[in-house]
Amino acid sequence: MVASMLPAAAQPRSATLERILGDYQAVASSLPDAPLTHDARLHAMRELTRIGWPKASDEHWRYTNLRAFEAVTAFGPAALVRASGAAPAPVPLPVPELPPMLPGFERLVYVDGVRYPAAASAAAGRNATDWPAEQRFGLLCEMFASDAATLSVRGSAAIEVLFLTSAAAAGAACYPRLHVTLEPGSELQLVERHLGAPDAPTLVCANIEVELGRGSQLVHYRLQQCGLQTAFADTLCARLADESSYSVRQVAIGAASARTSARVRLAGRGAALSWQAIAVGRGQQVHDTALKVEHLAAGTRTEEVFRGIADERARIAFSGHIHIAASAPGSDTRQSLRGLIEAPGAEVDLRPRLEINTDEVKAQHGATTGALDENLMFYLLARGIDRDSARALLKWAFLGDVLRAIGLPEVRRAAEHGAAGQLPDVMAIGALT
Amino acid sequence: MTGIADSARTSASAALLDIRDLHVNVAGQQVLRGISLAIGAGEVHAIMGPNGSGKSTLAHVLAGRPGYEIISGSVSFDGRDLLALAPEQRARAGLFLGFQYPVEIPGVNNAYLLKAALNAARRERSLAELDAFEFLAMVRAKIKLMQIDESFLSRGVNEGFSGGEKKRNEILQMLVLEPKLALLDETDSGLDIDALKVVANGINTLRGAQHAIVLVTHYQRMLDYVVPDFVHVLARGRIVRSGDRTLALELEKRGYDWVSGQAAA
Repeated sequence: MVASMLPAAAQPRSATLERILGDYQAVASSLPDAPLTHDARLHAMRELTRIGWPKASDEHWRYTNLRAFEAVTAFGPAALVRASGAAPAPVPLPVPELPPMLPGFERLVYVDGVRYPAAASAAAGRNATDWPAEQRFGLLCEMFASDAATLSVRGSAAIEVLFLTSAAAAGAACYPRLHVTLEPGSELQLVERHLGAPDAPTLVCANIEVELGRGSQLVHYRLQQCGLQTAFADTLCARLADESSYSVRQVAIGAASARTSARVRLAGRGAALSWQAIAVGRGQQVHDTALKVEHLAAGTRTEEVFRGIADERARIAFSGHIHIAASAPGSDTRQSLRGLIEAPGAEVDLRPRLEINTDEVKAQHGATTGALDENLMFYLLARGIDRDSARALLKWAFLGDVLRAIGLPEVRRAAEHGAAGQLPDVMAIGALT
Repeated sequence: MTGIADSARTSASAALLDIRDLHVNVAGQQVLRGISLAIGAGEVHAIMGPNGSGKSTLAHVLAGRPGYEIISGSVSFDGRDLLALAPEQRARAGLFLGFQYPVEIPGVNNAYLLKAALNAARRERSLAELDAFEFLAMVRAKIKLMQIDESFLSRGVNEGFSGGEKKRNEILQMLVLEPKLALLDETDSGLDIDALKVVANGINTLRGAQHAIVLVTHYQRMLDYVVPDFVHVLARGRIVRSGDRTLALELEKRGYDWVSGQAAA
């Protein structure tokens, strides 16, 4: 049935894509009509077939560890696979231990991409979103997602959404989804956290869609702390109306391989994005972020800060593409990308890219990769701090720009502990006080 | 050994710091050309000289900064071969460098650095480490002396500090660590008169039989407040003249050309 609906292949399909299509065919009739309509799922499937599975030779995917995603044995959603094709089954108890509640926050929990405890989905089936080739993992989530956290905010709110991957999902896939809409003038503090450590290779493939109304403000804390058997992909699309502001504080420390594909459109006059992110990798972890920001209206602003540390044989990549359209005079962009390579086998790849099609633009950008600053090191040594402790302190300070920008103390602490957990020498000196 | 170098020696029988015929290159260029200097505990020395004379190089070589090539000579500190020690070992042995340009380290707070540095020094002296309460009690009095707001303890090291605040922070660190030898590299530069008095007051607080102080300075105005026992003039990598406090006053009147010309002659 599925095969007959596919466009003629322009080129041979990869084995991975064939498996995805096969898995889709196996579960298609059981997938619910929400959060996406069946037509939307079919559209996504056709698009993925047309675009194809990414290759390492594609510019947008060259730093992604595609092998980790290709190693996934079953692309069908874990909740469906468990129910053998019936309606999505709730996860068997117990769910992974939950972190403490955040004071003043409402909490939503999704286990293996499905609301827990089970609740009637308020979301109607959505039509397809057009994900560009660099965000094609978004299509995968469109095909398979069986639930979504849908947040429509009018006024002021504080919401935490926990996406947990249970042990029962091991060897399969989870498709978390988050739809956020802020009415004009509304404010939301949103914590999005991905947790869980299944003991076999598992795919977590999340889509996040954000729509900010005029003058609204979203502060979005994103913590990715998945286990080391997880191949994690998140695809984010945000559109900002006039005078709205979007602050993202992203901490990526988990997963064997992680890929963030984000696109933020500053569509309204005076819209502002502040994207501050860290990634810390060790072992053979790969963290790859591709962020595209489009300035489409006058007086729009972007602040982009990235700090990445790669130790042992880890690879950290950040591509920051800022496009300023002819319709966006008076845009202001600041981009600061810095990477720290901690071991001879580690790698950090930073790719700033600024594309300006109008006059009257303020643009600052800088990208540096290397070792710790010797002047700072000498200062600490000259105070009697031993070399190992000095290194640890400076590594911690390196991440400080972003960690200190996390305004919520509880989230900042969680982020700090998560990041320090990746840096044993930082833990050893007790820099976390 | 030259007469100039001999005259630079103090009468201390066992100098705390004993530099002998030190030659140092930087990037293949000779910067120090035979420095000999002895400094006894309890003494205050001023090392003056024009820009490029080698004053800061000497301070950094003694503190162990990388990038300097020791061609010949020796330095003993408190009976140990200073040049054989790593920078952090020198610091723990009681040598303190007050930086001309203190770096900013956002993300490492002042309290953490001060406590870690102090406890490293105390371990070296086989003293018990201070706990947070004891540390805070000790550091509070010194913060007050340096007229620094207590909130600075929770701020990043020198983060967003003015030039004067950075220098006061350097002296605060010195007072907390109580080094045997404080090498203060142009601590007076960039200070207005009020800040200069505060900094000088801090330096004078350390002054005593157990501590030696070396003021590396371009101008003599600091010496109105921290009166040195000895003044040395460095030019082209050599000590070209040594004397007492009046030498600094004479330099103020006659300028560095006076001694530089003599050295060249």
